[in-house]
Amino acid sequence: MTAPEMGTGMGTGIGTGRYIGQRVRRKEDPRLLTGRGQFVDDISLPGMLHCAFTRSQIARGKILAIKTDVARDVPGVHAIYTQQDIAHYKADLLSFFLAAPDVEMTPLANGRVAYVGEPIALIIADNRHIAEDAASLVEVDYADEDPVVTLADAARGLPVHPGTDNNIAAQMGEEEIDEELAAKLKSAPHLITHKVVHQRISQSPMETRGVVVTRDGTEELTLYITCQSPHLVARWLSLSLGLPETAIRVIAKDVGGGFGLKNHPWKEELAVIVAALKFGRPLKWIEDRYENLVGANQAREQEMTLQVAFDNDGKLIASHGDYSVNIGACPQLPECNIAVHMFVWAAYKMPAYGFLTRGWYTNTVGYAAYRGPWAMETLIRETVLDIAARRIGIDPIEIRRRNLVTLKDQPTMTCMEIPLEDITPAECLEKLLAHFDVAAFRKQQEAARKEGRYLGLGVAAYIEPTGAAGSIATMTGELAQVQIEPTGKVTAIMSTHSQGHGTATTMAQIFADRLGVRYEDVTVFEGDSSRGGFSPGAAGSRQGVIAGGAAIMAGDLLAAKVKQLAAHLAEASVDAIRIEDGMVHVEGSPEKSRTLRQIAEIAYGEPDRLPPGFEPGLEAKYRYQPPPMTFASAANACVVEVDTDTGFVKILRWISSEDCGTPINPSVVEGQIAGGLAQAIGMVLLEEMSFDDRGNPLAATYKDYMLPLISDVPTFEFLHANTPSKSVGGMRGVGEGGAIIGTPTLVNAIADALAPFGEVPVDLPLTPAKLLSVIEGRDLVSPTVAPEAPVVVAVAPLVSAAPVVQAAPAPANEILIDGDWKMVLSTPVGPQEMTGHFETDGTALSGYLAAAEGQQAFTGVVENGNNLLFDLKVEKPLKITLKYNLTVEGNRISGKCKMGIFGSAKLTGHKL
Amino acid sequence: MKPAPFDYVAPTTIEEACAVIAEAGGGATVMAGGQTLMPLLNLRMSQPFIIVDINKIAELKGVSRGAGVTRIGPMLRQCDAITSEALARDLPVLVQAVRHIGHHQTRNRGTVGGSIALGEPAAELPATAVALNATIEVRSTAGTRKIPASEFYLGPYMNTLQPDELITGITFPDWPKGHIPLFRELAQRPGDFALVGIVGALVVEAGKITRAGIAWFGMGPTPIKAKTAEQMLVGQSLDTLDIQAVAESAIADTAPFDDQHASAEYRRTVGKRIFASALREALKTGEVA
Repeated sequence: MTAPEMGTGMGTGIGTGRYIGQRVRRKEDPRLLTGRGQFVDDISLPGMLHCAFTRSQIARGKILAIKTDVARDVPGVHAIYTQQDIAHYKADLLSFFLAAPDVEMTPLANGRVAYVGEPIALIIADNRHIAEDAASLVEVDYADEDPVVTLADAARGLPVHPGTDNNIAAQMGEEEIDEELAAKLKSAPHLITHKVVHQRISQSPMETRGVVVTRDGTEELTLYITCQSPHLVARWLSLSLGLPETAIRVIAKDVGGGFGLKNHPWKEELAVIVAALKFGRPLKWIEDRYENLVGANQAREQEMTLQVAFDNDGKLIASHGDYSVNIGACPQLPECNIAVHMFVWAAYKMPAYGFLTRGWYTNTVGYAAYRGPWAMETLIRETVLDIAARRIGIDPIEIRRRNLVTLKDQPTMTCMEIPLEDITPAECLEKLLAHFDVAAFRKQQEAARKEGRYLGLGVAAYIEPTGAAGSIATMTGELAQVQIEPTGKVTAIMSTHSQGHGTATTMAQIFADRLGVRYEDVTVFEGDSSRGGFSPGAAGSRQGVIAGGAAIMAGDLLAAKVKQLAAHLAEASVDAIRIEDGMVHVEGSPEKSRTLRQIAEIAYGEPDRLPPGFEPGLEAKYRYQPPPMTFASAANACVVEVDTDTGFVKILRWISSEDCGTPINPSVVEGQIAGGLAQAIGMVLLEEMSFDDRGNPLAATYKDYMLPLISDVPTFEFLHANTPSKSVGGMRGVGEGGAIIGTPTLVNAIADALAPFGEVPVDLPLTPAKLLSVIEGRDLVSPTVAPEAPVVVAVAPLVSAAPVVQAAPAPANEILIDGDWKMVLSTPVGPQEMTGHFETDGTALSGYLAAAEGQQAFTGVVENGNNLLFDLKVEKPLKITLKYNLTVEGNRISGKCKMGIFGSAKLTGHKL
Repeated sequence: MKPAPFDYVAPTTIEEACAVIAEAGGGATVMAGGQTLMPLLNLRMSQPFIIVDINKIAELKGVSRGAGVTRIGPMLRQCDAITSEALARDLPVLVQAVRHIGHHQTRNRGTVGGSIALGEPAAELPATAVALNATIEVRSTAGTRKIPASEFYLGPYMNTLQPDELITGITFPDWPKGHIPLFRELAQRPGDFALVGIVGALVVEAGKITRAGIAWFGMGPTPIKAKTAEQMLVGQSLDTLDIQAVAESAIADTAPFDDQHASAEYRRTVGKRIFASALREALKTGEVA
């Protein structure tokens, strides 16, 4: 079978150029590979002092006393701060969406501790040694309480946060499966119920968290911080501290990996920053690896049950997903991961889908993003498809062919109402199959089985929303500012930020091509909030897509300026000007060629020679707003051998077939994919952050938290499809894909190898002991024969049900609906504050909802005297109708907002 | 991750080192290659008053021949053990074991004596010393003592070394030319401590096993001598050897533990198998026992 032609008629990519599309050597590498990078710990400021934290030794309890006297007397200690000492500073722990948390969170523990490792006291000392000496001498008396550790504990345990009704931090969807959907599931020829348990993961950046902060004057701050965007850190801190953004300068030259952990500061960084404001001298805190494994936020720890109905041909009929995530005590996001449900069937022809999704507070360290935060959707879908294929008796590739959305099927709309125009997972799969002979493998597999060797083939396909912009406050466009300096050299300042992404290389490739200069003559700067414009940096596989588009646009604006000036000087038409290799040529008049430097010298220094109205200098900037979402697609295959004596897995081959649109630099693309795949291998086979029943972490060093080594990672084979996207330049994001598609690919290969022994429960990591248990049909994992752990999540009682609006009788006291109400809607992106203005006329209701983004009017009805029913249509992030059902009691208002496919959100508020 | 304060001395002779250790009265910790000690210090899990760095003591280095024995200085770096011609000739299985310790970078500093002194139950070298009936020579200001490796280990990281004693050598009795090395370990990643492992040597003469020294690692609180298996093997003719039965007996001597990586039952199940397959391969019987 041959792969279909791709990249034809699908929008306009920039294709390849002299530099674009080439494996150009990275500008960053000589510096990084010779130890000349500049990371936070390389920064030392005059008068700088060092910080360490006293951290909670227990997972949950009340703090009775913090005794700092002995620690304070250690020579070299300058100050010890507890929350009480810094409480007068505004220091809010905002989410990635810049929303304030709906439970109390403070930089240092405020009277209670909620996880092992929670910072309680901050020590400022001459050096880190002394700071640690003192930290160990701070004595904390606790009234110990039983912690809530697992998802099962969260459902039945006492609320982690005092004053809340239960441990549900966020919830969307319906608690009861819709009747129509239930009927479809029940009546289907095949109904598969599949549960996936994903372990907790430590992002494990090579460079741990860290900050150097200095107060300049009374209210200006300069920070060196390891982060994913200096601009986002500046904006976040400005809102958190209530200081003007311009007073905060954030510098992060080189960063040793972020992976989602470093989207924005958290407790420790904020505590150090506030301490610097208070103490006045520059402070440094470099997180050590122990702190990173115990105290830095973590990711995943999810359980999901997916029901999928198939007809006898293996075609999808309907599905329902129930998802839970353990987000710890102080998560960076009160997350219930709605994206899991938005994308679980997005690339497949799925007629009907319903879901329940919940995030749970526990007494563990909080949640932060990790490469492909919604990856569960691909893991559970691609593994259930293989299970279904085995159950129904269809080839796993065939079941995908019958259900995947192909280019021919588009444009179309997913069952979650996401428009699809140009996704190519089916085409990536065919390209993969043209490269990998499945029939030959099956023969080899059969022959090997006869020798007692168990080979397996895993295949998976997926799509991923990349380069998202415009629907969430922080997910903006990207800014490119470029200039040809009077010397003729090109410098650009980008809103991007690299944690190893190579943006200084890829953006330079674009400018060199668009301006007609040598790659060596282009320098790209980023990593300083005082220059360049806002962007969230590396988040959501966006920089190549959006910043790439911005660089093209800015480069073209500047090239046009050069041409205009050159044409004017040569008295030629603009069309006759060509810039190549730093030379500006005039067609037909080689004698009129000028160097770019000569042109630049005129542009900057000889205003008399410029065309009328020409702005002196050679500078351009462009902020590019891409389409709301750009999809990347891929299909992967891997071959493994499982040793049935030991349960050990050996990866024999791995092929990645992805569509990243225009590849600016194929080596950078492959580096991104390979890194993600390595992380997927770690998640499937090795990594696990677990806790004992008192909430103590069981992996506090890299001896126990097992990252994949280079010897665990095979040499990947890469196939690239290059279907240009609709964004400028045609790029698609590749930052997260490997980590998303890699997990089911490997799980499927292992399950295929062990199919003769039965299904492999997808309970990550698949350790040798777990796999040998499948092979032998007995428990080789548990210490002793323990009773089956009860599945609690699915039957978790919802302690505080939404108000029952229908039954509310008209209260005896007068209902005063008319007027303004302050209301908070708990949405998947955090609490949204708004003002509700209501006017009643009998049972007629009118008014508007106002928020920072604007206001929208509505009309509705009043039932039973206090029950307000009204609808609002919104366009962003998707076109949906919001159905409000609110109840007024006295000066309080509460109820639900049904948000179409997103299920319901809770609303609470009071009269203004 | 910064150590608690400590005093540091770096003696240049064994006598000097013993004097310092004696004076410290139990408050001293000896530092050889530091590959375990440094992380323990940094995690503050170890907080000694004095670190006695023995890297400058020339007498503690090198490999030498004694009467019917190979004597290894405790400060022999693991990387040097791998390239030692004497060890390749006389103790090939020890070289094989050392190759499985950690990684290139750690073996450049890590020492043979340090690993044997620490007594990590899942480590390769303590088990090798036990398997091959090595003797640990120790010195204090009171004199010299020789401890059979089989009596050296009491539990995880616990041994019979007194607080004032310093390991000065490890002697391995000779094995005849042509003896068969036996080594197999299962670790989740190369360089990790083993989930389960065996190490040892066999002598086969005229179709009969005449000598066997075998020990387990990762299969109990200390390295465990596979005594029952050794007894079954010695005197056995290769023709009638029931490898499966030996493996079954060998596992009976172990006391594996449960941890987050594997259950005791996993270790027993797999231990039996790697014992059988390693033995089969070593003897090249090729038959399924």
